[in-house]
Amino acid sequence: MQIAVQGIGVVGCFGAGVAKMRQALLTGAVSPAAFDLPGCGTPLAISAFRADTSSLADFVPLKALRRIDNFSRLGLLGAYLALQDAGVPAAEKQERLGVVIASGYGATGSTFAFLDSFINDGDICASPTYFANSVHNSAAAYISIMLGATGPSSTVSQFHHSVPSALQTACLWLAEGRVDRVLFGAIEELSELIGYAWHRQRGRADIPEMTPLLTGAESAIPGEGAAFLLLTRREESQGGYCLLDRVITGRHLKPGFLPSPLDLLVLGADGRIEKGGDYAKLAKKATVACFTSLYGSMPGSPAFDIAIAALMLKEGKTFDSPGSAVCDFPATVATGGESLKGCCVSCLSLSDDDGFGLINLSKG
Amino acid sequence: MNTKEKLKKILIEDLNLEELTPEDIDDNAPLFGEGLGLDSLDAVELVVIIQKHFGIEIKNMEEGREAFRSVEALAAYVDQRLATT
Repeated sequence: MQIAVQGIGVVGCFGAGVAKMRQALLTGAVSPAAFDLPGCGTPLAISAFRADTSSLADFVPLKALRRIDNFSRLGLLGAYLALQDAGVPAAEKQERLGVVIASGYGATGSTFAFLDSFINDGDICASPTYFANSVHNSAAAYISIMLGATGPSSTVSQFHHSVPSALQTACLWLAEGRVDRVLFGAIEELSELIGYAWHRQRGRADIPEMTPLLTGAESAIPGEGAAFLLLTRREESQGGYCLLDRVITGRHLKPGFLPSPLDLLVLGADGRIEKGGDYAKLAKKATVACFTSLYGSMPGSPAFDIAIAALMLKEGKTFDSPGSAVCDFPATVATGGESLKGCCVSCLSLSDDDGFGLINLSKG
Repeated sequence: MNTKEKLKKILIEDLNLEELTPEDIDDNAPLFGEGLGLDSLDAVELVVIIQKHFGIEIKNMEEGREAFRSVEALAAYVDQRLATT
């Protein structure tokens, strides 16, 4: 079954909404900033792509947000923006709307604040609000409650496989007729804990910019944000962006499995040195694009790639890949403003365990 | 900073009452329902907050109900408990 992408809601370092994302794609100007980690004992800061959710106040009164943590706020803003982009009034009760969330990290800010409250003040002082927010489906629950969505909701966390796996769930619900529409979205929050773990694992605090199409060099900068899509069955779609043809997950991807060289391949390469060579090998002879430098490295990044691919299909042209001036991939990097040669765009993401997610989109 | 001022600051920070300032909170306004608009989950948070910030454990429901009437009542309760320990 083909699924239609009806609306997009994105929040990242580039701002909130499709217009802000498009502007960043045209200018390539998104810079990471210093992210202070005061709880690490010694003064420490890393470069990071942070996202701002203050525009959520345009959709929900502040008072209604007071128990909602940063992770869920990112998701709520993405969800409201996707509905707005699709022309669906948020005030309308969404009776057959499902909500599927993908997150590799989850709500680490609340989860570890809850655990810290045990350690610092004893179990009698554990915060019930932190507990509620640390439950892994809480963001989907907040979105469902705020939108009056009475369809099913689910959260999938399979680290780098989270987005394709969650997308498969969304497509299945639509194919089964369980729902008429699905709000699918990836959310990643850059909590202090993730920042510290990043620093310990990757160690570099002074990377000025990401060069994702350069193998043999570590240039990953962590990011946070949310990317949401409003999905419907093709026959019920009106306007919208593009069709979602296939979502394939598996292990040990062979280059022959990739789409026609005419079609654009959006790579999830994000400057992690251990994956750069794998992307380069698979992208051999392909026409590629890569946009991770606009939102940073995070497990949920394939959802941003899908959003950008959908926008390219709608506009019929490509965008420049930021950071691609430094490139040693044996591939053709698409130039911004060119017409899309094929009718399909595929998004490829690779995980650390030789797994892959391949998402095929077409003009329809 | 007296207990009332400290309580108002803590309530705003710990209950995320982002739209309020300490000056907006009336000393005698009810904390629950009308007034500050807190609810049952906030009551549990309040018990935790009082223990965490003042080291006072509220074990008795009746005692808590009386103390949680307003900022004025809560400050008087905190001051009285601190004076007797």
